[in-house]
Amino acid sequence: MSNENKIKLFLVDDDIVFLKLLEIEFLEHADFDIETYVTGELCLENLSNNPDFIVLDYFLDGIDKTAKNGIDILDKILESNPEIPVIMLSCQDKIEVAIDCMHHKAVDYVVKSETSFIRLKKIIKDLVEHRKLEKTLNWYMDRA
Amino acid sequence: MDKNRVNARSLIEASLDPLITINIKGKITDMNEALANITGLTREELTGTDFFEYFTEPQKAREVYQEVFANGSVTNSPLTLRHKEGKLTDVLFNGSAYKDERNNVLGAVVVARDVTEQKRIATELNESKIAAEHATKIAESAKIKAEDATRIAEDATKIAEDATRIAEDAVKAKQQFLSNMSHEIRTPMNAIIGFTKVLLKTDLSPKQNEYLTAIKLSGDSLIVLINDILDLAKVDAGKMVFEQIPFKLALSISAMLHLFEPKIQEKNLRLIKEYDAQIPEVLIGDPVRLHQIILNLLSNAVKFTSNGEIIVKVRLLSENDEKVIVEFAVSDTGIGIAEDKTEQIFENFQQAYSGTSRLYGGTGLGLAIVKQLVEPQGGTIKVESKVNEGSTFSFCLSFKKTNADAEYETDIMELDLDVKGLKILVVEDIVLNQLLMKTILEDFEFTCDIAGNGKIAIEMLQNNVYDTILMDLQMPVMNGFKATEYIRNTLKLTIPIIALTADVTTVDLAKCKAAGMNDYIAKPVDERLLYSKIVGAVKKSMKKTAAKHDKTFEINKLKCIDLDYLNRRTKSNPELMIQMILAFLEQTPQLINTMKQSLHDKDWNLLSASAHKIIPSFSIMGINSDFENMAKQVQELASKQIEADGIPELVFQIETVCNQACKELEIEMKTLKNKINE
Repeated sequence: MSNENKIKLFLVDDDIVFLKLLEIEFLEHADFDIETYVTGELCLENLSNNPDFIVLDYFLDGIDKTAKNGIDILDKILESNPEIPVIMLSCQDKIEVAIDCMHHKAVDYVVKSETSFIRLKKIIKDLVEHRKLEKTLNWYMDRA
Repeated sequence: MDKNRVNARSLIEASLDPLITINIKGKITDMNEALANITGLTREELTGTDFFEYFTEPQKAREVYQEVFANGSVTNSPLTLRHKEGKLTDVLFNGSAYKDERNNVLGAVVVARDVTEQKRIATELNESKIAAEHATKIAESAKIKAEDATRIAEDATKIAEDATRIAEDAVKAKQQFLSNMSHEIRTPMNAIIGFTKVLLKTDLSPKQNEYLTAIKLSGDSLIVLINDILDLAKVDAGKMVFEQIPFKLALSISAMLHLFEPKIQEKNLRLIKEYDAQIPEVLIGDPVRLHQIILNLLSNAVKFTSNGEIIVKVRLLSENDEKVIVEFAVSDTGIGIAEDKTEQIFENFQQAYSGTSRLYGGTGLGLAIVKQLVEPQGGTIKVESKVNEGSTFSFCLSFKKTNADAEYETDIMELDLDVKGLKILVVEDIVLNQLLMKTILEDFEFTCDIAGNGKIAIEMLQNNVYDTILMDLQMPVMNGFKATEYIRNTLKLTIPIIALTADVTTVDLAKCKAAGMNDYIAKPVDERLLYSKIVGAVKKSMKKTAAKHDKTFEINKLKCIDLDYLNRRTKSNPELMIQMILAFLEQTPQLINTMKQSLHDKDWNLLSASAHKIIPSFSIMGINSDFENMAKQVQELASKQIEADGIPELVFQIETVCNQACKELEIEMKTLKNKINE
C-alpha cells in the first residue's frame, strides 16, 4: 500500500515512554503513517503535513511551564483546520477533564491505560467509517 | 278578566304533569289533558269519578287527599297512577285545599308530578351503586385472594430457600467432614507409614521385616483409598479445579514411571516407555491431575499383570500454533476385561468381576476417578481389551503451548548428587511428624531444626540461616501460608520453601504458589521425592544467587522490572524493546530529578506534575504497582499545595526503585543488543 492511502496520525505527548509505546503499538498492529511530537508546539508547526487524526495529551504544561497545555493546542489545531478530528489522552479519569475536552470540540477522550491503544484504534476506525458514511450520504443527498 | 282565565287555562293544559281538582267527596271536578293521557281515559269518563281509583293503592290515595282536606295541603307524597291498559306512572302527589270566603273547604287542587324519569334514573343509579358495591366487593375478595396467593408464594419461596440452604449446608457439611476426616486420618497414617519405613531400615529379622512390610503395604493402600474417596467427593461436589500451569511433560512421565520401578521389578515385569520426541518440552496443563490419571492406570496395569510387559506410550496426535493434542496409552499383558464389562469398569466401586477384588484387592474407584479426571478436561478415555491377553487404556488431552518455563519441576533427581550437610528448618506442629521428619532428614545427613508453628519459625529465621524450609500448612498460632507471606514480604528472604500438605487439592496448591512457596510435597512423604525436591530447590536457589552476583553485586532483592508486558506489546521484537527502554532511560532520571528539585523548592505544582507524568511508565516496565500508587499519592498530596508528611519518603522510594529499574533495564538492553547481533 502506498503512503498516500495510509491514515496519517499525529501522536502528541510529553511522556516519551508512553508516546513510544503508542507509536510501537500503532506501527505493529495497524497500518498507519505516524508522526510523534513531544510538545504541542511541534505538532502545530507540522500541521502542514496534513494529519488525518491527532491524538493529543491533555496535560502538556506540567513540567515545562512555558509549554501550552493540551486544550490550548487543541484550540489552535481546530483554528487552523476545524475538520481534523482530535482525540484527547489523559492520565486522569476525571469527568471534568472529559467535559473540558468535549467543550473544546475534541472528538473523544481516552484515559491512559494498558488498553488505551485499543480504544484509540477503535475510535479512529469508527471515525473513518463515519466519515465514509457521511460522504456517501451527502452524495445521495446531492442527487436527490 | 276572561282573557286572563283563558290564559290560565292554557297554562294548565300545557303542563305535562296531571292537574286535577276534586270536590270534598273526592270526585274529580276538573282536570287537564295530562291526566287524560296518563290514565288513557277521556275527560268525560274521568269527570265525576272517584279520584283515588286511578291509583294502584286507592286506600293510600284516599288517605293523602283526606290529609289535604285536614291540613290544607300535602307535598311530595309518592303514589302510582294506572293507565287503563295497565301502564304505571310514578307521581309525586302535591295538593292544597281551596276554600270559600267563609273558610269552608270546597275541594282540592292536586298536581301529580310525573317522576317516572327521575325514578328510572334513581333506580339506575341505585343499580349501578349496587353494581359498583358488588364490583368493589369482588375486587376486595380478589385482592384478599391475591394477598393469600402472594403469602403462599412467599411461604413456598421461603420453604424452597430453606430447603436449598439445608441442601447446601449438607453438601458443605459433607465436604467439611471429608476434608477433616481425611486430614485426621492422614496425620496418624503419615506417622505409621513413616516410622514403619524408618524401622524397615534398621536391622531386622526376616520375620520382623515381613511383618513390617505388611504394615507398610496396608498403610499405603489405605492412604490411596482415602485419597480416592476424597477426590471422588470433590468431583461430585464440582470442586475439582484443573490448573493451567506450564510443566515439562517428558519429565512428568519419567518421574511417574520412576515411582513404579520397584513394583515392576518386584513382579518381574518389563516396562517400556515410548515417548514422542516431537512433543514440545513445556506445555500448559494440570500436571498433578495428569499424574493422578496415569498413576491410576499404571497401578492397575501392574496390579493385574503377573508376567509380560507394560507399555506406556505418549504420542503427539496433532499440533497447531496454539495447542497440541497428546495421546497417552498404558498397555499391559494382564488378565484383560471381557467386552461386555468394559462399560461398567468406569463406574464407582465397580470391578469387572466381583471376584477380582478378592484376588487382586482394590476398591474399584481408580478408573472412576480416571474418567472423572479426563472428561472435564475435554478428553475421552477408551479401553481395548481381550481376556487373558491384556488391556490398553488410552486417552487424549489437549495442552496449550507456551514459551514460559515450567514452574514445578516434577523431575526426580538422582540420589547420587551427594549433597550433604544441608540445614533444614521443619515447621510442623504435630510431634510425631516432627520426629519423623527429623529421622528422615538425619538419614539424608542433613541437620534440621524444628519450629512448632509459623511464628516460632519466623523467630528462628531471624537468628539462623537455613538452606530450605519444609512448611506444614495447617498449624496453630500462625499457619504455613501466613508464615510464608511474612518470610517473603517482610523478611524478604528468597530461601526455598517447600509446603508439606496433607490434602493435595488444587486450591491448596494455588494458595501455596500465591503465598510464595516454591514447591509442595504430599504427606505421607515419599523419601526419595523429598530428597530430590530439597536438593533441587537448594541447587536452583544457589544458581540464582550466583547469577545475580555476576550481574550486580548490590541487588539483593528480586528484580523490580518485569518485561512481560513489553514483550507482549512488542511481540518480543528486540529493537522495539530497546526503543522503549531507551525512552524510559531518557525520561525517568530527568523526572526523578525534577521531583527531587521541586520537593526541595516546595514547588508543589511541579512535583505533582512530575509524579503524574511518571505514573504510566511503571506499569509499562512491569514495576510493582505499589510504586505507581506511591506516585499517585505524591501527585495527590502535592496538589493540595501543602507540605504533607511522608512526601519525602515516598519520593525517596520512587527514586530508589527507578534507579534500580534503570540499572536492570541497562542490563536487559545489553542482552537485547546481543540478541540482535546474533
